[in-house]
Amino acid sequence: MENLVYIALFAPFVGSLFAGLFFARSPKNIVVGVVNSALIFISLLASIALAIHVVEHGAIHVTMMDWITVGGLHIPFGFVVDEVSVTMMVVVTMVSTVVHIYSNGYMDHDKSFNRFFSYLSAFVFSMMVLVMSDNFAGLFIGWEGVGVCSWLLIGFWYHKKDVTPDINPAISPSYAANEAFIMNRIADLGMLIGIFLIYWNVGSLQYDIVFEKLPHLGDGILVAIAMALFIGAMGKSAQFPLHTWLTDAMEGPTPVSALIHAATMVTAGVFLVIRANPIYSLDAVSGVSYFIAALGTFVAFFAASMALVNRDLKRIIAYSTLSQLGYMFAAAGLGAYWIALFHLAAHAFFKALLFLGAGNVMHAMNDELDIFKMGGLKKVMRGTYLYMGVASLALAGIPPLAGYFSKDAIIETAFNEGTYILWFALVFTAGLTAFYSFRQVFLTFEGEERYKKFGFHPHEMYRYVLIAMSPLAILAIITGWFKGSFHEFIIRLLPDYEMSHHTHHNAWWLGLLVLAFAVTGIIIAYMKYARKGDKAFKQDKEVESGFLYKLLINQYYIPAFYTEYIVKPYSALSDKFWSIDKAVVDATVDFIAKVIYKTGDRTRVIQNGNLSSYLNWMGVGAVLLILASAVAVVIG
Amino acid sequence: MEHILTILIFFPLLAGILGFIVDRDSAKAYGISVAGIEFLLSLWLWFSFDMDNADMQFTEFLPIIKEFGISYNVGVDGISLFIVIMSAMITLIGIISLNEEKIDNIKNMIVSLLFLEMTMIGVFVALDAIMFYIFWELSLVPMLYIIGAWGGPTRVYAAIKFFLYTFAGSLIMLVGLLSIAYLYHLETSVWTFNLLDWYQLDLSVNLQYWLFLALFIGFAFKVPMFPFHTWLPHAHGQAPTIGSVILAAVLLKMGTYGFVRFSLPLFPDASVQMIPMIVVLSIIMIIYTAMVAFAQKDMKQIIAYSSISHMGIIMIGIFAMNSEGLSGAIFQMISHGMVSGALFLLVGIIYERTGTKLMSKFGGLASIMPVYATIFGVMLMASVGLPLTIGFVGEFLVLLGFYKISPMATVIAGTSIIIGAIYMLSLFKKSFFGEVTNESNRGLKDLNAREITALLPLVAIVVWLGIYPKPVLKPIDNSVQKLLIDMKYKARTPEAKKSIISIQRAKEEK
Repeated sequence: MENLVYIALFAPFVGSLFAGLFFARSPKNIVVGVVNSALIFISLLASIALAIHVVEHGAIHVTMMDWITVGGLHIPFGFVVDEVSVTMMVVVTMVSTVVHIYSNGYMDHDKSFNRFFSYLSAFVFSMMVLVMSDNFAGLFIGWEGVGVCSWLLIGFWYHKKDVTPDINPAISPSYAANEAFIMNRIADLGMLIGIFLIYWNVGSLQYDIVFEKLPHLGDGILVAIAMALFIGAMGKSAQFPLHTWLTDAMEGPTPVSALIHAATMVTAGVFLVIRANPIYSLDAVSGVSYFIAALGTFVAFFAASMALVNRDLKRIIAYSTLSQLGYMFAAAGLGAYWIALFHLAAHAFFKALLFLGAGNVMHAMNDELDIFKMGGLKKVMRGTYLYMGVASLALAGIPPLAGYFSKDAIIETAFNEGTYILWFALVFTAGLTAFYSFRQVFLTFEGEERYKKFGFHPHEMYRYVLIAMSPLAILAIITGWFKGSFHEFIIRLLPDYEMSHHTHHNAWWLGLLVLAFAVTGIIIAYMKYARKGDKAFKQDKEVESGFLYKLLINQYYIPAFYTEYIVKPYSALSDKFWSIDKAVVDATVDFIAKVIYKTGDRTRVIQNGNLSSYLNWMGVGAVLLILASAVAVVIG
Repeated sequence: MEHILTILIFFPLLAGILGFIVDRDSAKAYGISVAGIEFLLSLWLWFSFDMDNADMQFTEFLPIIKEFGISYNVGVDGISLFIVIMSAMITLIGIISLNEEKIDNIKNMIVSLLFLEMTMIGVFVALDAIMFYIFWELSLVPMLYIIGAWGGPTRVYAAIKFFLYTFAGSLIMLVGLLSIAYLYHLETSVWTFNLLDWYQLDLSVNLQYWLFLALFIGFAFKVPMFPFHTWLPHAHGQAPTIGSVILAAVLLKMGTYGFVRFSLPLFPDASVQMIPMIVVLSIIMIIYTAMVAFAQKDMKQIIAYSSISHMGIIMIGIFAMNSEGLSGAIFQMISHGMVSGALFLLVGIIYERTGTKLMSKFGGLASIMPVYATIFGVMLMASVGLPLTIGFVGEFLVLLGFYKISPMATVIAGTSIIIGAIYMLSLFKKSFFGEVTNESNRGLKDLNAREITALLPLVAIVVWLGIYPKPVLKPIDNSVQKLLIDMKYKARTPEAKKSIISIQRAKEEK
């Protein structure tokens, strides 16, 4: 079994090296794509085998070798495959396999095809390290590793130049990449502090030891640890106020958005909270947990509101990712860790599918992203329409698709906890989710064929790519049906969460209410965006000049605020410091040197060879010496 | 090979003197051979080093002036071992990277470098204070010459500033060293400059305080600590690539090494008392110079200021007073040596090709020079402390260790992981990403064999020690733990006893 762990972990790494070392400088080579996809598939098979093993025999724990050993600190490269990590492994490798195969088609015209696969596989490896590590430092390796891969992949088309934010809010791929990296670093500092706190209070960073010793720690320390780790989680999972990087990250190639910025990396924060559930479920940190739930709910609504007006195909899906991450945090914060993990998995499948569908549309439309320039694409892209429709239904929470089971459970949890404000916000957001998802689908595939005006000649994606996407579509449909057995499996490790009698009693109308909101959202979207002829969608200038629309399309002016009040002052202060360095610090040194030099220069006249002048100076010297000794006597 | 340390010190000197008679055309080959042999010898030192022994090894002792207790006294422990190996390695790589066609008078350059190598290794293995001081001062001479002879337009100003600044500092340090010898004489009526004897000296807290300050000035000028750092950007700005590489990689480490070898064990109480001052200066150093780095337009100045910022991390690690932080600081010295050395080499390569270091003249280099961009990227990631690169281990340990002293200060110093990423990523974006803005750059050649030979070993080490730092960390940790035990034993004040955490105490607690 140990070998399987290593195969699952290192197969993607081998792929990355294979592409990076042997093909970095050669032109597009299909072998790279095939080999890398095959290696990820092997990793998937190993993960599934491990999952079966965990179901039957329980967790596997392996220690590969020492990493850092200093003083009292001992960090090994250790990996644990238990209920939580194996779930993540299967989800990650599943989505990765599809995305790898998909990328063979999507990137086929790109001259950096080989480089792309090298980065993509390196990402999968980092993500596996993140979820499989048996200690916080190992998690941090993966954490930073996915960060770098994300940086490389967002900035994959680094040759594009910077433009002003009104042309492209992300400015350029390389700008977006740096923004993502730096914003994540802010959160990483929080995470590091959490690690330091754990080390100095527990003496180890191994999960099992840390969780075992939690009862011995003071409340203040537990709260500090919980907060610091959550700050780390906020960066990776793009929670407010560190959320702006995620939408800008859409500058990366679409398979990257599907894999990294929807299905896997951004859920790392949620994974961290789930993994550290023994900390977050303590009574002492209930305040922090409630804050997580509240922030999650806020982000769910906040992100959904921005998705309502956006015209950018990928950004809409990015906001929806942000919003769904909020749902996951809401569940985790309320103590329903297994529901959060379940939604994480279900979301990974349908959201990756949605993004890949968007990729097909972009491929067809010469990388056009404005959905106002599309419409009526269903005629030429039947398969993609079907996929995106299924994914959106799942996202909107329409039964019997995956999202219905997982999202509904989160909303029910909020009701069950008696946090009715959160509950209502989540219900309302479910309606918004359905609306913006279908606004996007209808604007793209239904209604008038607006694209003709702009001279596009859309065409469907390659057949094998569509076939490769089918597993995600199937999973987006069926995942929810396995909620019961997943529950049984996962609560062997995670705390169980059961609804109270009261909630059970009310479950029928709760479910119906959510459904009603969702269906209403879809119907409004249909009425407004899907029809043809007289009723066809037209841009409404009046709405677009309104305050609310402006607020939403400008992302509540938060990016502008960051630029104006953080980025610019930082640059100005840096310049200021530089001038201080030259004009004050360095100038002082030069001044001292000059004084010494000048003193020497001036006093040179004393040595003029004139005996009487020497005698005079000797007299002055003697007086000074006498005075000095007198002072010394008086003081001493 | 009992006399391995003597050989390590004097082989480059002899070879350097012989170098004058070598033919100009074979000067570089000669330099590579000598530095190569020296590097192999330093590796031999590592392999025959007893990893479980925390004490001084390969010691040699030969009285020179008996009346004053001045002797030829050398030895190496886990703390100095890797700095010695790094000095030999960086010299070798530096010589390999030299471009014979671009450097006039390459023979003098090789001789200067070999002479410099002697002084560097001498400083790190000296166990006699006078001998330490002599090598310390001698190291200024070849560097002065390298900057003054092969530097940029204002090289004379920069060289003299470098010389006078550090020389002034070391004179005050000399006064401190002489006072310690005098105090030792007062107490035991024996004259000695043997550092190991000095460790036994029990000084009053007040005296420790003044002596600490005297040595502090010498070391702090060298590190260089804020506000004594301004000579460094000038020196880097004017120095030829090889000068910057050795200056950043090795010479700066003399300062931090001095704190570890002298200040901590000689003045444990004063060291603990001085933590607030050191930390304030270090934090200013970390944040302020990182922001100044961000404001720079010249690539090399960014790396120069970033060096100062990283040295600040090393400083707080040294004063963490526990094994995690101090071992981390020493590891970070190695790490910074490798990474800043490589970064200066990389900047030198583009400067040699284009005659400019201004980022505004570049843009889109990644499309033109992919190998160059990749190696630069690896070093960038090491510089910002990415896990599994050499840069993470040291930085992580330092911050972890210092957290025990002051969580608040650690949070502030920890912002270096953010602002470090800001200036490095913006450098990378401006120079390597975007469109090719300068048409004349289109014809730039990617790295040639000579440059790759110089850089690949550094890349390999950056990755190797990031994944498996144990071979280096373990001997360092052994000697550091011994140092901490001695400090704790010697400390007089209760605060110092409390702050210094040796493993023994940790075991007692368990």
